[in-house]
Amino acid sequence: MVAHPRAAARAHRLRPLNQPKPIRVEADESGEPQAVVLGRECLAVAAVQDHWRIDDEWWRERPVSRLYYLLLLEDGQVVTVYQDLIGLRWARQAY
Amino acid sequence: MRIACLNIPRFAVEVERQRRNDVATRLILIGDGTVFDCSLGAEASGAKPGMRMSEAIGLCHRAVVLPPDMPHYQRRFEEVLDFLEDYSPAVEASDPSILRLRSGRGLGIAFLSLDGLSLEPEPFADGLIASLHRRFGFMAAVGIAGGKFTARVAAQTTRPGLAKAVPSGGEAAFLAPIDVALLPCSGDTLRRLGLFGLRTIGELASLPLAAVQAQFGPEGRRIWELAQGIDREPLRPLRREESIREHLAFYAPLISRQALVTAGRGLLSRLLGQPAMNGRAARRMALQVLLSDGRCWERAIVFREATADQEQMLCVLRSAVETAPLTAPIEELAIELSGFAQEMGKQEGFFSGNGRQRRQVAESIRQLKARYGRSPVLQIVEVEPWSRIPERRHALIDYDP
Repeated sequence: MVAHPRAAARAHRLRPLNQPKPIRVEADESGEPQAVVLGRECLAVAAVQDHWRIDDEWWRERPVSRLYYLLLLEDGQVVTVYQDLIGLRWARQAY
Repeated sequence: MRIACLNIPRFAVEVERQRRNDVATRLILIGDGTVFDCSLGAEASGAKPGMRMSEAIGLCHRAVVLPPDMPHYQRRFEEVLDFLEDYSPAVEASDPSILRLRSGRGLGIAFLSLDGLSLEPEPFADGLIASLHRRFGFMAAVGIAGGKFTARVAAQTTRPGLAKAVPSGGEAAFLAPIDVALLPCSGDTLRRLGLFGLRTIGELASLPLAAVQAQFGPEGRRIWELAQGIDREPLRPLRREESIREHLAFYAPLISRQALVTAGRGLLSRLLGQPAMNGRAARRMALQVLLSDGRCWERAIVFREATADQEQMLCVLRSAVETAPLTAPIEELAIELSGFAQEMGKQEGFFSGNGRQRRQVAESIRQLKARYGRSPVLQIVEVEPWSRIPERRHALIDYDP
């Protein structure tokens, strides 16, 4: 028989996937990205292929408000980045 | 035998005051249809436990009305009982079924056996009151007597923070001026005692036993004996049932039931992998969901037959979660299995698909787990696949076949 320890068990967390990674982005006055720093390289944005905004969880203490951009870079890579409209920080995240 | 009774008056109100700063200085009524518990101020306005809530609000219109959170009160009371077990080897909660009753009476009352303790009862009681206050912030009263009833009356008639010891043989004299309403009898008996003009326990004690028994039957005999200070009811120490428990805290509060079921699958997998479950099956499963507004939803499930089958448990869990009144995002899920029995053998199908391959994978993972201490294999699970926030859609959980 195993006695009940009567102690709180260790909480096992779900580990979230696809967490946003902070990234350096240079934007113009309108806020549109002009260049993205990937590793040691600063790559110019060749085209903004799409952009969209999400506003969610506005009822919580830390609501989510992000402006996503799908960018075609000068070397042909396509990356998705977003600007957090509350903290004004940039992050890279597959959508 | 000397027994101490610890009474924390208005336990539910005190618990709510500790939990919510915004009601710390307000008049409080707890209940839904009827009043479960009320603060001292509300009681002074005429409200009392058991009264209809509409009537209580009419008497005390400035009071804050809170819905009863029984699982939370029960948890806090269990913490107190655990603490009391450090003071005495035999501790009894006032009434194990009290949480099923819709009345605040009895919640917050516990009995301790003082037999074999080297300390004198009064210093013991003073130390207990002080330690309880330091640890939990509850101010209790303690009554000490030769029986449970007298000890309880002593605790209920003494101001919080004080102890009252009734000397051996002095029970009847102590109880004599006490109101008959404190006797453990039915409402009908109380009403009839009033009709006979019996207001105090002493007045009841002065009657011959035969007359009381003729009027009130076996209940009459019992309350007459109690009034005489004769209390043969033994102390029934708590029985700790063997159980295993796992809980999962969410990195962001969940708003979907599907995600809750997914989390439940992970927890069941962990529970069924524990050594305590080796070759055994569980008869009962308790679910506990903590919501972001501080409330808690609990559900106890009894299986038709003891089971160790994850899919069977998950099926029951799913149906419970689908009907659960979850009024706020979910912060934590806990599952407890208990009522262990030997697992019954089940005949597998002759052509059982890819069972062999699965067993090989499971065995490999078991070996890796033995080597590294935890399963190095993770499983991707859908959490909120429809979420607009990408990191909410999927998560990794330990793969534990």
